[in-house]
Amino acid sequence: MSADDVAVRVDTEVCIAGGQCELLAPDIFEIDDDEVVAVVRGDGRLPRNVALEVIDRCPSGAISIVGGSDHIPASGP
Amino acid sequence: MHADQTTARPDAPNVTDDALYLDGIPHDRFAEMRAAPGLLWHPYRDGGFWAVARHAEVRQVSRSPEVFSSAIGHTNLWDLEADALEARRGLIDTDAPDHTRIRRLVASGFTPKNIKTWGTTVRELTAELLDEAVAVGTSDWVDSLAAPLPIRVILALLGVPVDDADHLVALSNHLVEGTSEQQTLAPDAFGNTTELRLLPFNSPASHALFEYGEALAARKRLEPADDIVTTLVQAEADGERLSGAEFRNLFHLLVFAGNETTRTALTHGAMALADHPEQWQRVLDGEVSVEQATEEILRWATPVLHMRRTTAVDTELAGTRIGAGEKVVVWYASANRDETVFEDPYRFDVGRDDNPHFAFGGGGPHFCLGAFLARLEIQVVLEEMRARGLRLRRVGDPVRVPSNFVHGVLSLDLEVVS
Ligand code: HEM
Ligand code: SF4
Repeated sequence: MSADDVAVRVDTEVCIAGGQCELLAPDIFEIDDDEVVAVVRGDGRLPRNVALEVIDRCPSGAISIVGGSDHIPASGP
Repeated sequence: MHADQTTARPDAPNVTDDALYLDGIPHDRFAEMRAAPGLLWHPYRDGGFWAVARHAEVRQVSRSPEVFSSAIGHTNLWDLEADALEARRGLIDTDAPDHTRIRRLVASGFTPKNIKTWGTTVRELTAELLDEAVAVGTSDWVDSLAAPLPIRVILALLGVPVDDADHLVALSNHLVEGTSEQQTLAPDAFGNTTELRLLPFNSPASHALFEYGEALAARKRLEPADDIVTTLVQAEADGERLSGAEFRNLFHLLVFAGNETTRTALTHGAMALADHPEQWQRVLDGEVSVEQATEEILRWATPVLHMRRTTAVDTELAGTRIGAGEKVVVWYASANRDETVFEDPYRFDVGRDDNPHFAFGGGGPHFCLGAFLARLEIQVVLEEMRARGLRLRRVGDPVRVPSNFVHGVLSLDLEVVS
């Protein structure tokens, strides 16, 4: 774990369970087979740059950084 | 309202005339739209729509479903009468919370983890079709590989018995006909009694597909198996099951949605690899991964050219005011050539390492359910071609589908050289 790690959470009301997050960071995200939503494993900490990448790739906007600003500006590409 | 704004601003160049697409996507017109400040208004039939051409705004619209609704109106350019809209309503034209509920019920079958378990099935089907194409030498790639592979794969995933596959392939082909107004079926074909305008694609084949889906569901309730229809009949989320109509529409959507799209990607991909042999060489040499090449094929092909949303409230996009209830159309065909995102966008370059294309939509809740399945199919085709050291050679020109909605190809003669 490094100082630049951040914790993430998944808004289960928004998640569409497509599994992009699980594909990019399988240690942190898992599709819960019973609830059919993404869930965060352990303390959900991962390097900030990986977190931003996953947030960017999550189609539904369900993932956010804990304690971060709720609004992640659309980064274009 | 747009009315006062259109006086100050020129209309968008026409991109809805189907005939334009006989020669391919009119990229010059989309480039013009991307270069214009704000949004352009595109006249269409009795009204029109706001044309969203830039990558950034396609993304913004796709990811703001509370403003840009899929349930108000329709997700195609034209409007449907209210009863037809209700009768046909499925996953694509719902908003949260209904959409989230249905989507989750079906999503469990389509996660990357689950899709991977189908790898062997996809590979066996691919190998069989490829070996046949090699034996024949020159053939219509659409007939020999691009069309049969996706339909066989989705039928296997759904749990349709092999003996019924031909019947369903025939039904699916009739649906494709329905999109191009070349209906060959009588309105009462397959015992249909429903008014055609209430059926998806106005096709009696939809009625037959509904009936088949219901019979299959009944069978899977009695004899559960490891397939998606079993998952759907057993699935329960938030204590709710799919209603009968929801199941029917979903079964229909699953049979159809992955077919023409994946076929189109496989066909444009093959055409691009034949036209740019040096790009295929990079894959053969292992310089570029099959995964990377697949993303470029998807960007290049853009099988679905656009989707429509309707504004739920007054809003503003790219500095343009949009009133509630107006149509907004996101053009993936244009976003995938946005020069501010893709370097040299008109170049087919299998080695692009940052390739945020919108072939599967711009993100948001409606992001393509079958994205991983489609990727798997394209990747396996490339892998099996690479394993056999195959090359593709153009024999003739493609016959394109004249459509502003799908980037379809009816036939493409190719020689498969081993
Ligand atoms: C290369 C192949 C494919 C392409 C280019 C493609 C493209 C798309 C696009 C552009 C959308 C709309 C996204 C949006 O509105 O934001 C979509 C939705 C959808 N796709 Fe695909 N698709 C492909 C393959 C498949 C496959 C194989 C399936 C398999 C079942 C599938 C099932 C669906 C479904 C069910 C939806 C509706 C999702 C929703 O509204 O929640 N697609 N696809
Ligand atoms: S990427 Fe987003 S929508 Fe998809 S499963 Fe993960 S959290 Fe859910």
